[in-house]
Amino acid sequence: MHIVILGNGIAGMEAALTVRQREPDWEITVISEESHHCFSRTALMWVATGQLSHRCIEPFERDIYERLQFKRIRARAIGIDVETREVWLAGALPRVGYDRLLIACGSRPRPAPWPGREKVGIGHFVSMQDLEWFEKELHGGPGPAGRPLFPDAHVTSSSVDSPYYPRPSARAQRGSPPKNPVVVGGGLIGIEAVEVLASMKIESRFFIREEWFWPIALDSREAAWITSRMCRHGVDVRLGEQIESFLGEEELVTGVSTDRGIYPCDLCVVAIGVVPNTEWLRASSLMLDERGGIKVDSGLAAHLSHDPERDLGIFAAGDCASVRWYNGWQRPEQLWYTSRDQGRLAGRRLLGDSANYERGLWYNSAKLMDIEYTTAGLVNMSVEDERSWFFEEQGSVHSTSRIVLSGDRVVGFNFLGRRWDHQILLRWIEEKRSLDWVLKHLGEASFDTEFVPPLRLPEELPRALPEDGDRSRSTNAVSGF
Amino acid sequence: MYLQGQNGLLHTFRVSYRNRGVAGILASLSLIVFYLLLYFTSVLDASVASLGFRNKWVFYGFLYTIAMLIGAAYYLSRHGNSRYNQLRILINVSVQIVLAFTLPLVMPLFGGPEFYASYLWPLDWYKMHPGTLQSLPVFLAVYVILGSLVAAPLLAYFYGKRWYCSWVCGCGGLANTFGDPWRHLTATSTRSWRFEQRAVHTVMFLAIASTFLLILEHILGASHDGFRRYVAGGQWWSLKSLYGAVVGSILAGVVGTGLYPIFGPRVWCRNFCPMAALLGLWQKLGRFRISVKPDMCISCGNCTTYCEMGIDVRSYAQSNQSFTRASCVGCGMCAHMCPRGVLRLENVSKRPRDKIRQGLPVVDL
Repeated sequence: MHIVILGNGIAGMEAALTVRQREPDWEITVISEESHHCFSRTALMWVATGQLSHRCIEPFERDIYERLQFKRIRARAIGIDVETREVWLAGALPRVGYDRLLIACGSRPRPAPWPGREKVGIGHFVSMQDLEWFEKELHGGPGPAGRPLFPDAHVTSSSVDSPYYPRPSARAQRGSPPKNPVVVGGGLIGIEAVEVLASMKIESRFFIREEWFWPIALDSREAAWITSRMCRHGVDVRLGEQIESFLGEEELVTGVSTDRGIYPCDLCVVAIGVVPNTEWLRASSLMLDERGGIKVDSGLAAHLSHDPERDLGIFAAGDCASVRWYNGWQRPEQLWYTSRDQGRLAGRRLLGDSANYERGLWYNSAKLMDIEYTTAGLVNMSVEDERSWFFEEQGSVHSTSRIVLSGDRVVGFNFLGRRWDHQILLRWIEEKRSLDWVLKHLGEASFDTEFVPPLRLPEELPRALPEDGDRSRSTNAVSGF
Repeated sequence: MYLQGQNGLLHTFRVSYRNRGVAGILASLSLIVFYLLLYFTSVLDASVASLGFRNKWVFYGFLYTIAMLIGAAYYLSRHGNSRYNQLRILINVSVQIVLAFTLPLVMPLFGGPEFYASYLWPLDWYKMHPGTLQSLPVFLAVYVILGSLVAAPLLAYFYGKRWYCSWVCGCGGLANTFGDPWRHLTATSTRSWRFEQRAVHTVMFLAIASTFLLILEHILGASHDGFRRYVAGGQWWSLKSLYGAVVGSILAGVVGTGLYPIFGPRVWCRNFCPMAALLGLWQKLGRFRISVKPDMCISCGNCTTYCEMGIDVRSYAQSNQSFTRASCVGCGMCAHMCPRGVLRLENVSKRPRDKIRQGLPVVDL
């Protein structure tokens, strides 16, 4: 049996590990364009500042491919022939035949839609190659602790439309770190880029199209706190402002033009979300959703759009797979741990098991500047008869707590500044607890470190209020988490 | 305002002296030379006397305390936004100033012994020797015996060995303050773990066995002259001299501190300290653990990188497995660095069954 896995991100690697655990003799081939060794994409920002090295962000020890006999090919996949069961590779490399195939090729950055986007000094912050570009812009090259394990010689032989194609940097012409950097897009990747710049004491301008930062996850009060933290680090946060074009002298970016004015810009990180990395599948007649995600059934199997009944032996997992959500949506879940879970399940499917992917309620966490964020359940999702309870703690600990109710039932939690155990919160939602009950037991879900004073709610508690439409606008644009 | 988690991003890997660059290697060489001169020559004696110190050990204690104070300021400027870190460093530095420097400095002035109260057996291997115990006032001898054999293991059982290794011990204190710039250099590979297990338990066995031999010598030595010479004689090759030179001077001083800028600040504590090994066994049996919040880890590697004991914390976190490792000194840095609040240091009486990853074992030894 020959298993071929496209992509050595967490989904692909978890699948490979799952297969290898049960089948020591099966042939497993991992094809990756982006990197030689599996790495944690969520940790790229720390490599950019030098908090971590390249080696630090590798979740598995470096001998794992040899030790578990995963054959590794570094190349760009450019197509799949479902009839002959072969993967086509760029650079005139021999085709790779498979018995069962897992596509786990991830996301690519959403390209900038504005004129002038091809200018030098404009880039993204999603892939290993983006990191290389960003580090070059900031530091003129990698830090003392390193570069990726192997050079990316093959990437230049793959096509220019590859998201991993090396991007030229404006560092040489500029001769110094950027003085007027701009970050576009009010989500997690955007704030990561802003943080990296802030850590180098470079003041940046942060353009957010919406009225406040990260509106799909935060409400205006929560976002205001994060924004004030950014301002304190010298970030010029421009809310509700739309980019219209990039300006430049010849090929170098020198400014941005928005609906409100023109600003100098010698470096721009475009962080307006990610899209499934699947254009190379357009010709394959695999079923894709309107976002480009590979439409999979509950067992993560992909199908042909003209012959959906046929068993292809092809599965998809991770950011590129469009799965069924707990609330019925069909779309990719672009999260680290869902990728990991999908990878494990896909591994069992590659082994021939029947298994179903069941996603529970939504939860997530993040760190925004130095403020930790935990969410669970239906927050900013516009539930029926929505009310919300909000409390801001301003003592020796600063925190905010928002509890979302549907009628009398607690359906969601949004916390900043303290640590919480999402599993307990999710259990309460499933148990359909009331607000009073939850407030009384809130301490049980605390996951604060030792000696942090516990959250004390005042005697006179704020009441749960009906949502006004502005404060937690629902949106369907869930991406880039 | 207390916040949890690292405050701001660090530049650790972009600083040459912290990454085995020329400055790092020079720092290491200077430390090694200093320790060789201190332990094996009398070169320092004259200058120490001219500075007005009673002997070179008092001088060394003074330097040690200064290094800890400067290191503590550095540490708190980086990681001081957490209450755990503040309290831990505050107490550790206070113990150094009061129990490990001032008291041994002052006590002899009033006719007492030069007694280092914060160092217990088997870290301070000489403390349990019958000769040493006899030379101490009774209450101090009781303190040594009860502290080493009863209090230390009990506290390690209930709170983990961190109570000693990260809150009290001077070696741990120096590692956590002066050694903090290099904490990311500790090896995390499975190979380094294997070496650690072998080395540290060997030294622990040697410490315990040789203590027994010395007690035996004390009882029987008078009638067995050869035995006495081999065990407690003054020659360099006697057990007592060899243990002191190899473990006390070379492993704890020259290697343990001298190699901070090359192999991280816990080379001694992790690989050679008999006290850490012994308390580690109590910890393994006891209530301390690092609790993992399931399915929230993003495998970023901050915990593993900044673990000064070289524990691959991430491998547990990404497997949803709460754990107790004998070597963990409970410095709390993994929980502090975690950007998703996945880890927490806990003392629990019952161990809930944690979800164990269905895949490969966490570490396949």
